[in-house]
Amino acid sequence: MKNHNTNPFILSSASPSHRGIIKRKWAERRFMVYGYSSIIVSILFLLFLFYTIFSQGFSAFLQTKILVEVKLGKYFVSEAGPMTVAEKKEVLKNLNYRIMVSESLKNTFPNAKSRMEIMQIYSLVSRNSYLKVKEIVEKRLRTEKSLKKTFIQNVRVWLPASTVIDMAYKGKIPEDSTKISTAQRGYIKRLQEEGKIAKFFNRGFFTLGDSREPESAGILGSVMGSIFTIIICMLTSLPLGLAAAIYLQEFAPKSRLKSIVELAINNLAAVPSIVFGLLGLALFITFFGLPRSSALVGGFTLAILVLPVIIVTSRNALASVPSTIRSAAIGLGASKMQVVFHHVLPLSLPGIMTGSILSVARALGETAPLLMIGMVAFIADIPSKLTDPATALPVQIYIWSDLPEMGFQEKTSAAIIILLLFLVTANSIAIYLRKKFEKKW
Amino acid sequence: MENIRIKAQNLDVFYGEKQAIFSVNLDIAQNKVTALIGPSGCGKSTFLRCINRMNDTIEGCTIRGKILLDGHDIYDPRVDVVLLREKIGMVFQKPNPFPKSIYDNVSYGPKIHGLTKNKSELDKIVETSLQRAGLWNEVKDRLNEPGTSLSGGQQQRLCIARAIAVNPEVILMDEPCSALDPIATAIIEELIDSLKHNYSIVIVTHSMQQAARVSDYTAFFHLGKIIEFGETGQIFTNPKHKQTQDYITGRFG
Repeated sequence: MKNHNTNPFILSSASPSHRGIIKRKWAERRFMVYGYSSIIVSILFLLFLFYTIFSQGFSAFLQTKILVEVKLGKYFVSEAGPMTVAEKKEVLKNLNYRIMVSESLKNTFPNAKSRMEIMQIYSLVSRNSYLKVKEIVEKRLRTEKSLKKTFIQNVRVWLPASTVIDMAYKGKIPEDSTKISTAQRGYIKRLQEEGKIAKFFNRGFFTLGDSREPESAGILGSVMGSIFTIIICMLTSLPLGLAAAIYLQEFAPKSRLKSIVELAINNLAAVPSIVFGLLGLALFITFFGLPRSSALVGGFTLAILVLPVIIVTSRNALASVPSTIRSAAIGLGASKMQVVFHHVLPLSLPGIMTGSILSVARALGETAPLLMIGMVAFIADIPSKLTDPATALPVQIYIWSDLPEMGFQEKTSAAIIILLLFLVTANSIAIYLRKKFEKKW
Repeated sequence: MENIRIKAQNLDVFYGEKQAIFSVNLDIAQNKVTALIGPSGCGKSTFLRCINRMNDTIEGCTIRGKILLDGHDIYDPRVDVVLLREKIGMVFQKPNPFPKSIYDNVSYGPKIHGLTKNKSELDKIVETSLQRAGLWNEVKDRLNEPGTSLSGGQQQRLCIARAIAVNPEVILMDEPCSALDPIATAIIEELIDSLKHNYSIVIVTHSMQQAARVSDYTAFFHLGKIIEFGETGQIFTNPKHKQTQDYITGRFG
């Protein structure tokens, strides 16, 4: 007798093929688990990466500074009393700012007597901190026309701490480390008690070029280098790539030559980037004699690197325009050229832009080819021309990561944060453009 | 048959090695609707696409024989396909408006052919074309909306308006109703009936009823050959060939 109350669609052992169905269900469930776990693992990796970079790099945006009093007046007093303007000018010419800093430091710690102690006091501030004093004096010179009254009072200046002190104050040196002496720890403590040591926003990180001293090394030089390089890269690769893609996809007749070119482009897209660096070196520097280490050569080299990718993605975007649109235009008597430029190209532009921005973003993060053409040199000056020697942001990261000074560790991470910001921005622009201009049909 | 516009003479069409059409002879009369029927793959669409040389865009497609439009060979190497397609418009199987505004869809043809001198003339062409396509009253207040926002039947009428905006003499229709529901189909069929006063129409269709309803002449294609051609009434009521009889009664195909 059939039980009419049992719903035949509820799986039970009585169902005719229940074994097979159960097996299938388990297979589905297993597949889900694989999928979820792989996503979770990759998210964990990403979080770990972000955590290490941010926890290490964030402190680089702050710079420890030490307050000292520079007794400017002392240098502008002669035995006969206050100096005349002419005398002051003479003094200014020969002022030794390094000595001024040393003397100010000595005044901060009047108890230090031994040579050892004094050397350690001197090493509290950055070796470049005399520049800060010089800057202040020069600023005074500019803003005050008459030198009569000026340079009499003392000035209080926040000088950048040396990298060891900076690290110690940020708590990056463990207590038992020998990188910092007990005496120096003592000085930090005293400065702290007197409120003469503090962390400030590190403007120099964004406004300075590279330096041998971590505390005065900034990323502006490499960011400018990157910007120049990317501009050159875009200006050369986008028109060339787009023209090649349009010709190959829309106009080129089927031929042996075309298939060879296609094969070559597809294979070039997979060639390791360092090979392009070698090509850039041979072609632009050796053959054309363009200046070594320059953003110009870097941009051209990266352009060759991204060209195949731009061609391939642009061709895909062009090919994705439905043939019905082409037929419609051809049927109306549009010429081949009109079909492409009135219909196919505008419709595929979002895809082309997305592909191009993503490949340029790839070029932005590229290091290896730039090493080959000499953009890896130590360059302290901020490049102002395309032919100036320059580095790029990822190369700067590579250079810093290799340096032994402690301060460069956090700079490396901070520069990575900046590079990631650039890449996230580029990708967001790509997504925005695609969403905005995408057309449905 | 009175007033023949298009004459196909011993037309052979090859796709690479494969012959798709075998020595077809067909006359298309002025201001009449000529229907091409036949089972799938019989070459009727290929033949249609030969009339405005759309097959030129297909690689490996070669043509032998002649198609004469008003006595002039359209496959003469000196013929400019742009001028030819201005005279012979086409409507496709799937409504394919450009993803642009309704106005831009209709005005595109006149623009590229330089048919107008100023904006008001262009406006006039857009209006009359939409009116002839029976779409004006439905879209006159939203000419700037995208053509793709219309319903399927409206889109197809927009495509017809777009085709007639360049003032062609012949309109080719490749299964224009196959993607439409019966109501939209009925509207298009009425439209075809009214359009034949101004244009000569060739229509490919899979629907026997449609061919019977809209056409004046019918050609039955089978395996790349014309089996029978004649007045629609005669073909459907008194076919001379058994194959035609079998096809229209649904015994094969």
